Amino acid sequence: MTPTLAVDATGVTKNFGPVRAVDEITVQVAAGEVYGVLGPNGAGKTTFLRMLFGLIRPDCGSIRVFDKSWDQAGVGVLDGVAGFIESPRFYPYLTGRANLEGLALLDGGTRAGLIKEVLDIVDLTDRADRKVGGYSYGMRQRLGVAASLLREPKLLVLDEPANGLDPAGIRDMRALVKRLAASGLTVLLSSHDMGEVEEICDNVTILNRGSVAFHGTIAQLRTMAPDPGYLLATTDDRRALALAEHHHGVDVSLDPDAALVVTGRRSEVSAFVAALMRADVELLGFTETQTPLEALFFMLTDDTRPTSAHRSNQAQEALR
Amino acid sequence: MTAVQTHMDPAVRESTVAVERRRGGLGAALRFEVRKLRAQYRGWAVLAGAVLAPIPIVVIINGQSRPPKDTLFGRFATDNGFALTLLILGFATQWVLPLLTAIVAGDIFASEDQHGTWKTVLTRSTSRAQIFWAKTLTACGFAVLVLTLLAASTIASSLLIVGHQPLTGLSGQTIGAGTALQLVTASWATTLAPTLGFTCLAIVLSVWFRNPAVGIATPVVLGMVMVLIGGLGGIEIIRPLLLTTSFEAWHGLFTQPRFTGPLVEGLLVSAAWSVLSLGAAFAIVRRRDITGG
Repeated sequence: MTPTLAVDATGVTKNFGPVRAVDEITVQVAAGEVYGVLGPNGAGKTTFLRMLFGLIRPDCGSIRVFDKSWDQAGVGVLDGVAGFIESPRFYPYLTGRANLEGLALLDGGTRAGLIKEVLDIVDLTDRADRKVGGYSYGMRQRLGVAASLLREPKLLVLDEPANGLDPAGIRDMRALVKRLAASGLTVLLSSHDMGEVEEICDNVTILNRGSVAFHGTIAQLRTMAPDPGYLLATTDDRRALALAEHHHGVDVSLDPDAALVVTGRRSEVSAFVAALMRADVELLGFTETQTPLEALFFMLTDDTRPTSAHRSNQAQEALR
Repeated sequence: MTAVQTHMDPAVRESTVAVERRRGGLGAALRFEVRKLRAQYRGWAVLAGAVLAPIPIVVIINGQSRPPKDTLFGRFATDNGFALTLLILGFATQWVLPLLTAIVAGDIFASEDQHGTWKTVLTRSTSRAQIFWAKTLTACGFAVLVLTLLAASTIASSLLIVGHQPLTGLSGQTIGAGTALQLVTASWATTLAPTLGFTCLAIVLSVWFRNPAVGIATPVVLGMVMVLIGGLGGIEIIRPLLLTTSFEAWHGLFTQPRFTGPLVEGLLVSAAWSVLSLGAAFAIVRRRDITGG
């Protein structure tokens, strides 16, 4: 028996006038997995998720959710699906609780006590009776998660859930998403933050300018990642550059901001730093510029590279 | 275009196939719309205005030494409560009723754009059609309520402050107090159809422009333009088709003999405006891509 996919989107395209927002993308999310859709702003992530929710009609291609399509099942496609697109929005003149009660009405009612449960989960119980107009951005994000959980979903779709949050809010939101994912939910998470996706997801699709730039597992992505990069500040950059010529595993160049940019495997970079010490070149600063996956993400979504073929070549170079 | 195959635990797979869930339907969507309306001060302010505003107006007109003779029933307005009620009705149909109904109807769809909440309600278990009809019924229900309150308050305050003497009809006939009360009530009732026509007009503007200010103000402006056009000569073909002409259909109730042709005509014209407005609004809501919010 063919397994039912939580999301089966095939060849989906959407144009807004002359702009092709989504270009024949295919995304398949298996039930029970945590799937990331990654891309810079304007990559087509949100348009894709809006099509998934039926807010936007695709120009071509098909989207099936738990084996139901909008054409056949109408709003029944959303049975077992919940989430929010971009920042969740509510009626500011209603309290948080009244908003949830109203949305529960639209869902055909909820079991007794569920509203209290979901408010507890997102830590909003003590503020549930305040009007949403007075909520902070983070509180609205959490109310959005509560509104989603109210549907007791099998598939949770979260579009940039940490967007706009302060560091503490980001930490709390990630912890919440991890907890939900661990409970067995299928999670489809969109983000422009590689770190967030790397931390949470099993599989990932990277979108750029509406097209798929990569999809596969996080492990596959790691194998494609280039060496990490570091910024070094030393007491004698010229001598450090000269020493680098004898270390073939590292690539060292002088940054316009008078720092040394070093790329290479961690072991090679460590050996180079040790050589600097032995040569009495003091190290004043050592900073990792980006993680390997971040570097790969930027390579795959760098708009200065005109074609996906170029991006693919760059990824292959990184592999070598 | 390439596909990605994902890996999953078969046990998890079996347990995560979506289940059919209950859906809210039109009734639930209607209850939510009414709750939202009740939570907003604007609706209560309009209802309070409909109840309270006629009282000082009646007091002020009653206190004037010279009645407004150049308006229909104005000549008797300071002596007869029924005449004053009809004078206020004539004034209300100029722009007051379109405004009162548009305050809710012109905002009820556009406010979803204003608050960015289309995506909130359309990602639940209620269809676009159900949301549309729930909003439409709420706006129309509000229009009926505000018209009823305005009529009841105007009639009661006029009769209590000015009196309920027999009314002189448009043909000079005397209409007894009991009959006059029935006819005055019927006159207010005949404005329901064009009021609902303006409600539907406000709805389509609210849907189309996605801006509450446009949804509320434009029906009032259009109403005034229709009154202006209706006052011009040489447009006898167009005049019956104007929504504001339907507001005048009650005049025939106060002639001897009575004529009801304009009432039927007004009913049909109002229905046509309502159907066309709602049809256009429904088509927009059904086909629209929700990209904002």
